[in-house]
Amino acid sequence: MWRCLTTCLCCTRMALTVCTIAVSAGCSSAYRHLRPTGGDVTCVQQFKPRLGSALYKTEVDVVGKHLSGLLVLKLMPDSSTRVVFTSEMGLTFFDFEFARDGAFTVHRIIEQMDKKAVIKTLRKDFGLVLLEHTAGGRVLTDGVNRYYAFPQEKGTNYYITDSSCAHLIRVEKAGRKPVVIAQMLHYQEGVPDSVHIDHQLFHFTITLKKLEQ
Amino acid sequence: MLLCCILTIGARAQYAGYTLMADSGPFKTQFATMAQKNTSLRCDFVQEKNLSVLSEKITSRGKFWFRRPDNVRMEYTQPFQYLMILANNHVFIRDGQKENSVSTKSSKLFAQINQLVVDCVRGTAVNNPDFSVRVFEGGQTWLVELTPVAKNLKDLFQTVTVLLEKKDFTPARIKMLEPSGDNTVITFSNKEQNVALPDNLFVLH
Repeated sequence: MWRCLTTCLCCTRMALTVCTIAVSAGCSSAYRHLRPTGGDVTCVQQFKPRLGSALYKTEVDVVGKHLSGLLVLKLMPDSSTRVVFTSEMGLTFFDFEFARDGAFTVHRIIEQMDKKAVIKTLRKDFGLVLLEHTAGGRVLTDGVNRYYAFPQEKGTNYYITDSSCAHLIRVEKAGRKPVVIAQMLHYQEGVPDSVHIDHQLFHFTITLKKLEQ
Repeated sequence: MLLCCILTIGARAQYAGYTLMADSGPFKTQFATMAQKNTSLRCDFVQEKNLSVLSEKITSRGKFWFRRPDNVRMEYTQPFQYLMILANNHVFIRDGQKENSVSTKSSKLFAQINQLVVDCVRGTAVNNPDFSVRVFEGGQTWLVELTPVAKNLKDLFQTVTVLLEKKDFTPARIKMLEPSGDNTVITFSNKEQNVALPDNLFVLH
């Protein structure tokens, strides 16, 4: 399963290189039509999950392989956020920490998943839905929706809302085109009831469904 | 300092109310004999996953079936639906709408973890070469401490302890302690032994 993911991620890097060459040759940006507009860039902070702690049934699909388990998201007293993924039978797969200052720590990860590319991908995916690194952004529009754009080390994270910033429609991690599209649906008491993360360059999805204990 | 080390090591694996058996031979013989008589088991279980640093507990419940020689059905019903069947060297999993089958021969780690559960129930855990074993005697229960020998298992578990009822050698509790300090405790209740369990329980339909 995780060997599959590592292989796919390597292939993705190659695909990105090819895409970059294609872009240089004239491939246009999917965000080229966006125009700056007024608005408060901090309004998307309302969609940052307001965690005490939340438990999600989690499914991961990678090129035909399926893995499931339980994911705990918890805000710690020091304002860091812990993301812990376990099997249904209780075995901890990984334990990540997103610190308030942006630092990232792997507290635990099983050997089978302990690959740089896997950790990097999961970090970015969860960082996207936890609204990490959402400072210094700008507001854009396509004429209908608002795009709250936050430059990252590579590419940009777009939080796309309706014109009044009342509803989060989707989240996109992108270079010139979306690489990851995430949806965070049915917020209840500040926490989404379901989350879906879908990679566009290869078949890799993460689906979270909140559980009530 | 040396004395401190010795005391620390000696105290490491002591359990309140239990005494280490210097010779676990008679226990093993009795366990194997009783386990032979236990042809099947049907019970409920409560599983608690304790995330130590997070001070979080995940509680799940379900039903458990075992039939000799090595058929296991573990069905989680709360707070999620998840079915796992171990039979014929395969693990069948139904997770929501998705079904999956893994050969325990192709996935050695999966095989070792699942073998552990089967061994705890059918009485062969004390002979599993993947673990070093110590046996402790208590008032109502035996405590079997399994410490992984193989590196891949050491990465997952610090120790696994199994409480066995003295009266019938059925498992009362399995506790899997991870190197991080997290642990998972499975407690069995409403046990019915030697009941007829149909074949279709151990087939994924």
